[in-house]
Amino acid sequence: MSSNEEKPTKKSRRDFLQQIGVVGLGSVLGGSAIMAGINYDQKKKASDRVKILTAENELMEVEKSALSAVSKPKAEDLAYLQKHGREGLAGKRWVMVIDLSKCRNARKCMAACQDAHHLRPEQHHINVLKMQETKNTPAYYMPKPCQHCDNPPCVPVCPVDATFKRQDGIVLIDNERCIGCRFCVAACPYSSRIFNWSDPLHEEEDKDLVYNVELNVPQRKGTVSKCLFSADRLREEKLPYCVSACPNGVYYFGDENEDAVTNGTTKETVRFKKLLEDNGGYTLMPELGTKPRVYYLPPKGKEYPFQEKDKEEAAEHLG
Amino acid sequence: MLRRKFNLKISISFLLITVLSIPAFAQGWDVPEAQKSKNSNVVFDAGATKEGESVFTKNCVSCHGNPGKGNFMKTLTPPPPDLAGDKTHNLTDGELFYILNTGRGVMPSFKNILSETDRWKAIAFIRSFHKGYVQVVSKTDPEKSKLVKINVSFDEKSNKVTVDVKANEKTGVVALKETEVSLFAKRRFGNLQIEKSGRTDANGVISFNFPKELPGDKEGNVELIVKISNEAYGEVESQSKMKLGIPTDVPSLTKERSMFNVMKKAPWWILITYFSGISIVIGFFIYMLLNLKKLFDLGKK
Repeated sequence: MSSNEEKPTKKSRRDFLQQIGVVGLGSVLGGSAIMAGINYDQKKKASDRVKILTAENELMEVEKSALSAVSKPKAEDLAYLQKHGREGLAGKRWVMVIDLSKCRNARKCMAACQDAHHLRPEQHHINVLKMQETKNTPAYYMPKPCQHCDNPPCVPVCPVDATFKRQDGIVLIDNERCIGCRFCVAACPYSSRIFNWSDPLHEEEDKDLVYNVELNVPQRKGTVSKCLFSADRLREEKLPYCVSACPNGVYYFGDENEDAVTNGTTKETVRFKKLLEDNGGYTLMPELGTKPRVYYLPPKGKEYPFQEKDKEEAAEHLG
Repeated sequence: MLRRKFNLKISISFLLITVLSIPAFAQGWDVPEAQKSKNSNVVFDAGATKEGESVFTKNCVSCHGNPGKGNFMKTLTPPPPDLAGDKTHNLTDGELFYILNTGRGVMPSFKNILSETDRWKAIAFIRSFHKGYVQVVSKTDPEKSKLVKINVSFDEKSNKVTVDVKANEKTGVVALKETEVSLFAKRRFGNLQIEKSGRTDANGVISFNFPKELPGDKEGNVELIVKISNEAYGEVESQSKMKLGIPTDVPSLTKERSMFNVMKKAPWWILITYFSGISIVIGFFIYMLLNLKKLFDLGKK
């Protein structure tokens, strides 16, 4: 019986406390808002106002705070970039052809790539490797970007859906989702993924940038990064950073659906299938069934000498 | 005896090649006389120089470096010259234009990459580094190029694209004979040349064999670009869209169900295994709870 009597009193006390809480919080908030308003009015100076030229060619003065309303909120930009970054370009299938007979280790591709993606000097989305298969076969240089496989082993292992394949064939990483588990690094047979062990190169400068999944900038510590086929450039009908930086005509890039690839140096456009057929094109590790979108032309009849200083490194594994 | 003769032949030809090629390389380029005296319609003023700079930065800097800075690619053979140097200074505008057009060895031809005005603007930028250079503007009338009419037609039977080049002069329609014509199909990053460039016949007509298996868009349309180059009329370009390619509508690479796809497009077997596993576990828990309730109810009774 006693419990029955207590119940109503308990309830009313709780209600009372709740009401007090609401009123109290409301008055504190209201008060601070008024105070902030007064403070703001006092602080307002000439430097807080800017002159702008309207579309009607009239010079107006506007408070700086009013300007922020014109620009889009950061979250909206991010949502837009994330959405179109995930979808990719419809009706396209990007392919890259790397002509090994022309590569002379100028390393301009690497520099352009590191510059675009804000990478540290020791981080490579694309790397020019020194290769030698056997003692009797010649050494050659081999640029190696991400192969953007049609059956990517790195994507299904991601536990958080951070790395994904798009409809145009590009494999990207969303470092907003990446938790840094590095399963994908372990899964990739081409070792084309890198991990941001330390703070990004331009941490301070990139602080206010909206994250672009097609450029992977700003880079973030504790996330994975990799070659993106310069997805942001392809959207603008421009060739990737590495392709257009090469001075030796090593790279061809194009759309498989158009059966055409364009050389980044000479800007000459040729038939994709014919180029592979005439020069014996191949892919790396086809036995894995990864179906790479990067094709290689063998280093046949190369016109340059393999640099003496690189010979040791190329033959290191041959014993 | 035969061998000695053969050796002699080889050595003579070798000698000839070296003797002939040394001056050719030393002088640089074997520019035809008619091309040497060619001048630009574009006036090399501050505007042209500025636009030329952006053309130069995009296409030339990677090898030649910034003029006067000496930061050209020294590893190339032959090394590309610093374009602010005397060697370049001493060349005529026509020679520079010819070099840009033809290319040689490592240097690509820019004829099909840059428009005529862009090529002249790049030269304007290079000339801005040459002290004492005075431009001679071309006497040909740039307005003349507007009179040119290019008619492109396609014959499905023979798979041939025919280009008819005419000029609407005041005296009547004139066929432009001996005019260089190049045919291109527009692709995403550049223009794919169809056959080699050729010259028009006496009627101002030339035809190209169009490849049968070139992909077009969904309807098979291909954007054709015709470029003509005539001594009197300059360079003219025309674009047209025609249904001469193979209709291409390839499904997207993420359309099929596969392991790497998003969850909605995961393979059936993985969805079935996963969800049946989950439902078995949850079902077991529900079953246990129901039994517990039964026990509880029995206890109450």
